[in-house]
Amino acid sequence: MTVQTAAEPLDAAAVARLSARHDEPDWLRDLRAAWWQRAEEAGWPTGQEEEWRRTSLAELPRDLPLLTDPPPADHPLDPALAAAGVIFTDLATAVREHPDLVRRHLGLRETIAPQAGIWARAQAGWTGGTFAYIPVGVRVDTVLHARHRLPATGHAYLPHSLIVVERDAQATVLQEIESPDGQPAWFGGTTELIAGEAARVRFANLQRLGDAVWQIGAQRVEVGRDAEVTTLDAEIGSAVTKVGLDVRMAGKGGTSRLLGLLAAGGSQHIDINTVQDLVASHTTSDLLYLSALYDEARAAFYGVTKVRPEAKGTSSYQECRNLLLSPKAGAEPIPVLEIETNDILRCGHGATAGAIDPVQLFYAQTRGLDAEEAERMIVRGFFEQVVAQIGSVPIRARVLQALAARIGTDDQEVAA
Amino acid sequence: MAIPNQALEQIPDSYKYGWHDAEQPLPVFKKGLDADVVAEISRIKGEPEWMTKLRLKAYRHFESRPMPTWGGDMSGIDFQDIYYYVTGTGKSVQSWDDVPDYIRRTYDRLGIPEAEKKYLAGVGGQYDSEVVYHNIRSELEAQGVIFMGTDQALKEHEELFREYFGTIIPANDNKLAALNTAVWSGGSFIYVPPGVHVELPLQAYFRINTENMGQFERTLIIADEGSSVHYVEGCTAPTFSTAALHSAVVEIIVKKGARVRYTTIQNWSHNVYNLVTKRAVAYEDAVMEWVDGNLGSHLTMKYPSIYLLGERAHGEVLSIAFAGDGQHQDAGGKVIHAAPNTTSLITSKSISQGSGRTSYRGLVKVYPGCAKSKSTVRCDALILSDEARSDTYPYMEIDEEDVTIGHEATVSKVGSEQLFYLMSRGLNEAEASAMIVNGFIEPIVKELPMEYAVEMNRLIQLQMEGAVG
Repeated sequence: MTVQTAAEPLDAAAVARLSARHDEPDWLRDLRAAWWQRAEEAGWPTGQEEEWRRTSLAELPRDLPLLTDPPPADHPLDPALAAAGVIFTDLATAVREHPDLVRRHLGLRETIAPQAGIWARAQAGWTGGTFAYIPVGVRVDTVLHARHRLPATGHAYLPHSLIVVERDAQATVLQEIESPDGQPAWFGGTTELIAGEAARVRFANLQRLGDAVWQIGAQRVEVGRDAEVTTLDAEIGSAVTKVGLDVRMAGKGGTSRLLGLLAAGGSQHIDINTVQDLVASHTTSDLLYLSALYDEARAAFYGVTKVRPEAKGTSSYQECRNLLLSPKAGAEPIPVLEIETNDILRCGHGATAGAIDPVQLFYAQTRGLDAEEAERMIVRGFFEQVVAQIGSVPIRARVLQALAARIGTDDQEVAA
Repeated sequence: MAIPNQALEQIPDSYKYGWHDAEQPLPVFKKGLDADVVAEISRIKGEPEWMTKLRLKAYRHFESRPMPTWGGDMSGIDFQDIYYYVTGTGKSVQSWDDVPDYIRRTYDRLGIPEAEKKYLAGVGGQYDSEVVYHNIRSELEAQGVIFMGTDQALKEHEELFREYFGTIIPANDNKLAALNTAVWSGGSFIYVPPGVHVELPLQAYFRINTENMGQFERTLIIADEGSSVHYVEGCTAPTFSTAALHSAVVEIIVKKGARVRYTTIQNWSHNVYNLVTKRAVAYEDAVMEWVDGNLGSHLTMKYPSIYLLGERAHGEVLSIAFAGDGQHQDAGGKVIHAAPNTTSLITSKSISQGSGRTSYRGLVKVYPGCAKSKSTVRCDALILSDEARSDTYPYMEIDEEDVTIGHEATVSKVGSEQLFYLMSRGLNEAEASAMIVNGFIEPIVKELPMEYAVEMNRLIQLQMEGAVG
């Protein structure tokens, strides 16, 4: 498929043309129009919102033409799984082939107000993305691996991924996003993950965008009753990354484990916003984000744990640790708690920022490593806290391989 | 309400010869604020022109700035429904009978002497301990320490005053600090000469016949090189005020090798908006400590801050907040590391009860080049009831690699097994809860002067009795 571009940037007409171009059903056309209207109403963030204070959108290349026909992403699927009713394909294909399923889940969840404008814009103009659907009771043991490669053409690309894991089902999904260096682009990827009752889901997002790309992404996770969800967000590439992760603990007894790995260098700017919204009682939500910051890289983290008045007996923790590896690197970790009930089992947070402990460095050097090797080993050890929690061996290998470009990694480990 | 100023009363309404102001005499005794009121306050106080100009400049900043949209709910404040200059302490209660029952009860339980009660409630004047305080004052004078009301200091030590006033919190700082600069009255002025150590904690009580806890008090403390002083503001006993807004500004300069501790225990009555700006700068090897307790008021927004400007300077904030029904304590601390080898420690303990809400809000900022800086922030919150709320907003901006910065927070409730154990030892539920809460705040209470610590423990006990059972 050739890449074609709309003549002008994202606007109401471009959104309407998208629907016409892909011959979309009426409900989707209306949904896009409604989203666009909400995007217009909400407007762009002003920078005064708490969530947007640390990333200015002034230099976002917002006038780039919309990528209307993205190259299709890889969605390999074992025929046996397909026979069991598992769907793993392009979202646009799913709209054609499974309209009812898509319609039942697509973009129904609200997000927090400061993200609403961006969220609605990305939803109105989406092209490309993944649709994964695991029917009731089906357990997928292999990794569903989606690879998105962006062309080097300077577009606004707003893919939308929708992952639905039904009751008692189980799945592991890896989403990889890559693009070449040197080409400015606006990548506005949205992922919605819905875990039904007692579902088990592992989701990893591995971002390796090119060094001139602006990423304004959003992830919405809904955790149902007694469900268990682990997410891993590995942010490695891009010039500027602003990702909102919004996790709603909607069903009693649900558990979420939210992991993040950030390895940034050059003049990269990474800004992560998380919301752990404990709505239902007896839910558990633990978050651990680690960043290693080289050169002049800067990482901001603004995460909120909200415990609602009706959410009794919850446990939650938020931890954000930053390793500063250059005198010009910077970090702004801000873990926020908003607790509206006293009936909590456990609630807390921690944040740190600092250089490598010189004692560790010295020790490693006395064992015969040079300073560079010692640093690499210590950074790798720092990340181990998250890496060890990546349950899937193939995903762990992919993540370590992706990190190697920045921190250097033991080859044997990657091979494993 | 009129003030007894005969000179002003004698000015005729219309003065034919020479200049005269078109405005009504004494407009400042009406509610509301405009530039004329600000100028009039300055005129009545007989201030030098530079202060009048500074007040007016600050007023313009106050006018042009929007209300902060973060923090607590400030929609209940009507700036035009406030008296901006009142003689005495801004408390217009005339009779002991007008003081609310809960405050009188608290005084009785704390065992506060009769005369002191009336003083605290704003009924009587300064209670009579002049002899004792006179001795303290002469000792201080012998050491060269200046300790007086801020208004008096402007008159008697104008040069020193002008050198420092508004240098730490300028007239164009936040909206409420700008308001304070425009209409300030009262507060303390302290100057400690180089090398002088003031052994006894200084308290506003020592100043005789001056305004103490005013609505818009302004405090300025200068600790010269190698000196030390501990200042204690306010008191643990409830302070009754009919005024809805208290907006104080405190500026502290801690010079090389000096040490200042500033202790506040705020227990304003529950109708008060307490919006305070407190900031200190600490130079080389200096130590600044804020001990900040918030028990009273409807809403408090107060984040004592420390700018570590010299190498090896050290800053500490100990913050304790207790929010009962309808109260919101939005408190915390800020430390800005602007020199290498600086260290800081922020410890916050907050308790929310009934429908109360406590919010810790703080900032640790490290500028590039401030190598070997260390900071630890520790926040613990205790939530005692189902409707209570607790928030933690710990901001951090780290622009230097070679640092050790950590933040940790926990939120917990009083465990039923803890209560059960204590009750099995013969305590009732209120006593048991109070004991647990007292244990929780102990690390901060032990930093308070003895009489305050005792009162604090009794107060917590009192609050718990209302809450449990």
